[in-house]
Formats: sequence, C-alpha cells, structure tokens
Amino acid sequence: MNKYLKLLNFELNRFFKIYLVLIVLTVVLQMTAVIVECRQYLKQANEMIYGMNASKEQFLADYGQMSFVHIVTNGWFMWSIAICAVTLIIYVFFIWYRDWFARNTFAYRLLTLPTDRINVYLAKATAIFLMVLGLISLQLILFPVEQGIFRAMIPDDFRQDLSTADIITFSKYLTVLFPGTLIEFVARYGAGLMVVLVLFTAILFERCYRFRGIFFGAGYCALAAGIFLSPILIEMFTEKVYLYPIERFFAEVALGLFVSGMSIFISRFLLNYKIRV
Amino acid sequence: MIEVKNIKKKFGRKQVLKGVSFTAKKGEITCLIGVNGVGKTTILKAIMGLTPYYGGEILINGKRINKTAYEKITFIPDAFIMPSSMKISEAMAFMKDFYAGWNEERARELLEFFRLREEDRIANLSKGNVAKVNLLLGLALDADFVLMDEPFSGIDIFTREQIAEVFTSHLIEDRGVIITTHEINDIEHLIDKAVLLDEGVVVKEFAVEEIREREGKSVVDVMREVYRP
Repeated sequence: MNKYLKLLNFELNRFFKIYLVLIVLTVVLQMTAVIVECRQYLKQANEMIYGMNASKEQFLADYGQMSFVHIVTNGWFMWSIAICAVTLIIYVFFIWYRDWFARNTFAYRLLTLPTDRINVYLAKATAIFLMVLGLISLQLILFPVEQGIFRAMIPDDFRQDLSTADIITFSKYLTVLFPGTLIEFVARYGAGLMVVLVLFTAILFERCYRFRGIFFGAGYCALAAGIFLSPILIEMFTEKVYLYPIERFFAEVALGLFVSGMSIFISRFLLNYKIRV
Repeated sequence: MIEVKNIKKKFGRKQVLKGVSFTAKKGEITCLIGVNGVGKTTILKAIMGLTPYYGGEILINGKRINKTAYEKITFIPDAFIMPSSMKISEAMAFMKDFYAGWNEERARELLEFFRLREEDRIANLSKGNVAKVNLLLGLALDADFVLMDEPFSGIDIFTREQIAEVFTSHLIEDRGVIITTHEINDIEHLIDKAVLLDEGVVVKEFAVEEIREREGKSVVDVMREVYRP
C-alpha cells in the first residue's frame, strides 16, 4: 500500500507541469468566454438602444435576457473542456509509452521495484482518475467565479440569473460531466475508470506481444465492451425488453465490476510473466 | 547463487536462446561473452523478469524472481533508466524511497568517487557521466547480485578506467556480478568466470584464473579458439 501511494505520488508529480498548463488554459479560455460573450451581448444592446434609439424593452423582446447558458455554449468555453478531455485521453497512452520510448527507458526501473508490479498499473490508473476528478473540481470552483464576473458585467435587467444546477441542466455536455445524482456520478465515473483499466490492459497486450498485441488489445477492448454492454445488446438484438431500468442498472454495475476485475487480473498476469522491456 | 537453467527464447521465428545454462555465485564476477545478437542482454533481462522465456527456469538463491528479490538483485543496463528530467539528487531520493536496501552512505561515497554533482540534471549529463550515475544507483543498493550490461559501451578511456576501478574496490566485494561487455581487455584481469555464448547456447564456461594458470591462455585467446577455430 505504501509503495502504491509512493508510485501514485510519483505519477502525479510527473504530470504536474502538463496539468498546470491545462488548469491555466481552462481558466484563461473560460474567462475569455465570459468576457467575449458578455461584451458581445452588451455591444448588441448598445447598438440597438443608443444607435437605433430602441427601448430597453424592445431589445429584451428581440434578444431576451442573457443567461450563463450563453457562456457555457460559447466556443472558447467548450474548447477548454475539449482540450482537457483530449489531453487526458492522450495521456492514458502516454503514461505507459513514455516509460518505454522516452529518452530513457524508465520501464526498467518501474518493473524492478521491490513491489507488486500491479501497483504500477493501479498507480497509473488512479493518477488518471484523480486528474479527471481534479479538473471536474476546478470547473465547480470556476463556475461561481465566472458567474460573479458575468453578474458584474451584465446589468440586472438584462440578466437572467440561474443556479449552477440549472446551468448544467441546460447544457448537454455539462450534464455528461456533472450527473444529477450521486449514484449517477459514481456509476458514470466508475464506468470511466473501467474504460481506463480496459485501455491499460490493451496497452499491456501491445507491450507484451508488440505487433500481434495490437490485435489482442483491440480484441480485448471489443470483448470488454461486449460483456459490459451485453444487457443492452441482448435486448437490442432480440428486440425484447427483459429487464426493468433498475435491474439493468444493477446488471451494468455488476458487469462493470467484473470487467474491471478481469482487466486487473489479466494485467497482473501480463506484467508478471509476459512483459518485455 | 543465480542459476540459469536451460532457458530458451525466440524473437519472432528466430531462436535466440536454445537452452542456456550457467551459474553465477556471490563474490564472483561472471562475464557473458559473445558476438552481437547472441542474446547476452536478453539473458540479463530474463534474469530480471523483464522478458519472458520458456523451457527452463532461473533461480535466485533457489527461488524464482519475485518482488522481494529486487532488493537482492540490481540491474544496470547500458541505457539510463530514470526519467531524464530528474536531477541526480531526485533519482537518489527515488531509490531511497522505494528500496529498503538503499545505502545512503555508499551513494555519497560513489558520488564523490565519480565526481558527480547531485544538483545536475540527468538530461544534461555526458554519456560517461550517465554511465556513472547508473552505476551509482545500482551499487548504492545493498544487493547480493549486480547485473551490468555493457557498462563500458561508448564511453571514454578515463571513465572506463574509473568504472573498472569500482570492480576492485569494496563496492563490489562479496557481491555476485554478471557483466556483459565487448571491451573484454578492460576487465579481463577482474573477472573470475567467463561464459562464452554462440548460436544460442553456452559453448564454453571456465574459471579465468584457472585457464590462465593451467594453459597460459587469456580470455581473448579462448575467445579466438571458440569463435575463430
């Protein structure tokens, strides 16, 4: 456990600089989104009210009040989330391959540490998971700050104040990132962790069997997806509904745990007996 | 004792190791000799559990390699194995963190012996200094066995001399060393046992001192007999 935590700390430190860049980028892009969107709205209001002598009521009838939903659907805002997501997806692969292909082959050291090799795998997976949760937390911290700027820039009459929960509900992609209930949150992020574990196992297949391993890895991903989605796939192909939604949910939870366990078990075997450096 | 018993290894269709067997004892320096591609590095990796093999088995003090064995056996490959962004001090701290057998006093001694500065970043070191840091990190562990892969490869003569000096010092004393090298002349006088490999098998295994005294031959003489009959 102690060595696992040390490895986790080491992995987090290794990603720290990139992570810091992601945090700064997220803050800058989202602040830009708030300012750009607010200024655009105010420009429209000024042009109509002062340039075309329209009344405030006329402007509001034409354009409506501005809400924070305008901001979260702004390109700058969505780019910030997309960049973080893509970076983390790339990092899922990079976290392994840099230990083999960087200037120095750190895999030699990692795999000869006096600890179970599976700890290396688990530390890497946990690091990815914590980084995702960290960015989600950052977003939750940023929301009130951005809303404060939004309130400061847009006068009361022109503004529709929404709670953070409402903003999330109105935005499709934020609903994915911030599920409405704790159970949904655990299930969604648990599924995310399962995907990371499956991908890690596929990467290990490639690292063990090289070219052939790519096919083994792809096959393993397909098998894992098939097992996890089997309740839905069976109903889809037979065009019959066998399970109530709550039953399907629990079946998915059980299958998710099974796929995660299977990935850890196979990875442990590959790391101990088949890995090549 | 390290016992390599009849191990076999294929790369694709090529059979690199066709049943290699030898032993390496504590307190002895064993040198694996063979032409490029004969499988010397592969054998070291197999001992460390860094590449799979089939057929036989490798035992370290009578047991197969496991997590506790990594406190007793250390591998010094010809490439540096810590992230290049690290400083020497950070690499030392990493080793101290993970290995119970890390000997800080010996690490300091080696740092001084090799005239390395802990604040230097590994990325900025010359090949010779990287080899020295590699040795430092490996030898500062209280390990019974040290595996060295081409420690003299691509480094200048002065660094080679300095590294060779380590072999005669108390830093190696009582440990079992398995070394692979092409620069046999540099360490011929240091090695206790030579294992000559060819075509995937051990073609000759002999005690260097014994053959020198009995037949008046050097390791290079024996190599000529084996590889250029």
